[in-house]
Amino acid sequence: MPQAQPVPSPSADPSRNLKEKLSRLPADARRNYQIFIETGDEQALAGLVFEALRYCLPKNSAAGGNVPWPDDARLIEDLGFDSLATIETVFFFEDLFQISVLNEEIANVKTVGDLRRFVRGKLEAGKA
Amino acid sequence: MRRAVITGLGFISSIGNSLAEVERSLRNLRHGFRTVEFLGNPRIPVRVLGAIRDFDTDSPNWRDWRFPDQYQFEPEALRSLSPHGLYALCACEQALEDARLRADELADGGTGLFCASAGSPFLLHHYLLQMEEAQGERGSPMGMVSSIAGTLNFNLATHYHIRGAVCGFVSACASSSHALGYAIDEIRMGRQKRILVVGAEETNAEAVLPFASMRALSVNPDPDSASRPFDRRRDGFVATGGAAVMVVEDAEAALDRGAPAYAELVGWGQAGDGHNVALSHPEGAGLAEAMRRALRDASTPPGEIDYVNAHATSTQMGDRSEAIALKAVFGSAGAGPAISSTKALTGHALSMAGVLEAAFCAVAIRDGFVPGCANLVEADPVCDGLRLPRKTEEARPRAVINNSSGFGGSNVCHVLKPFSA
Repeated sequence: MPQAQPVPSPSADPSRNLKEKLSRLPADARRNYQIFIETGDEQALAGLVFEALRYCLPKNSAAGGNVPWPDDARLIEDLGFDSLATIETVFFFEDLFQISVLNEEIANVKTVGDLRRFVRGKLEAGKA
Repeated sequence: MRRAVITGLGFISSIGNSLAEVERSLRNLRHGFRTVEFLGNPRIPVRVLGAIRDFDTDSPNWRDWRFPDQYQFEPEALRSLSPHGLYALCACEQALEDARLRADELADGGTGLFCASAGSPFLLHHYLLQMEEAQGERGSPMGMVSSIAGTLNFNLATHYHIRGAVCGFVSACASSSHALGYAIDEIRMGRQKRILVVGAEETNAEAVLPFASMRALSVNPDPDSASRPFDRRRDGFVATGGAAVMVVEDAEAALDRGAPAYAELVGWGQAGDGHNVALSHPEGAGLAEAMRRALRDASTPPGEIDYVNAHATSTQMGDRSEAIALKAVFGSAGAGPAISSTKALTGHALSMAGVLEAAFCAVAIRDGFVPGCANLVEADPVCDGLRLPRKTEEARPRAVINNSSGFGGSNVCHVLKPFSA
């Protein structure tokens, strides 16, 4: 008889999403995540935001993905995100840091810098 | 009335991921079953599956999926798909190439899209868990469109820029048969020039095991005999999935662009059992009426049908009910049409079974053969008088009827014939 093939199922392990998300990002992003969590370093957060945006970047984006974009690069107009991809990126951070983002807050995230400041602000508000 | 023909087919299935492979498997009665262990639990007695090869869609995250290199899709096409949505997209690509259609020809408003699937219980489960873990405070924006029933319509209509009729059909294992039936009507009434009819299902534990709870699945561990429609020792169905796509086209439009037709869809019919939420009518009343209605719609006498692709899934009650219905329609003289259920090869593809098996009928008509009854060793005595050839017969059928039945006693039949202009 042929060997049995496993047919897996999603797990209820709450840390699974976090592990999965980080495992799909480059080593740099995992390092930046760790540094940011431990020290709150701004450069580390910028690196993490860059990798998260690359993770959700549309294939036909004219922006290229090898060099960090400037803070004023607009997600939709300059990077080619549609609104679903923008929400997907926001969800990436919601899920990664276990935070919740309101609709009106998403509407204010228009640039790369907005996203970075927003993530930091949410995390600091969460600690307060 | 206008005429509907089949101009393209695409398959991701347990018996092949291309038309050529499927044709060989049907003709040579080569099944697509494997031994599996659901949820890593050896105590689950269901051990056989009509598995999909060359695709790895075990992860809920599309970035982890692996599929044949011939398919190249952008992240925007993949991010809102379920595993069966990926199968459907691949089968669509095949069907369009087979029909000699370019993707940009589909956005003309004359092309519609009718789909059938149960959605993705696998992804739905994943996203609901995620939502519960977050105590309802957040969830993936792709959760809905990738997992609920209708996910095929949402994604495929967007991907191919379909501007004609777009609709999903939900009648359990008759779903894609309904999709095909209403596609025939749209073409015959001149409302659409062509319709892509799509059926797709997953083969993961979430899609399959709920049927074990109903005691509907075979617990025979042998892949060579677990699915044996009409056999006295049948003990339930073997599940399968994948995707089947059929391009149904106005005959004149197909002739105008020089697209060859596999077959003509000459009629269809449906009738309910009005009997039980899950079980077939014991005398096959609804299925017999659906066959009669389809034959009437096709202006085809029963004596002209040379092949019946039966719904028979290999359950005790369902196969018995269909055998009685077949005898009621075709008589019990023993000189009736050849009857086989290709689920002996593929397994039961649930909502996609109707379009998958209609596609098999189209291949049988084009290539001039009738698939035999694989795995049939000792026919159930209830089948006495029905012609159940054990081997494939090499002859082009004059007319074929394709049967489907779903929960709630929803029965749908299509009649196909070779096309002549």
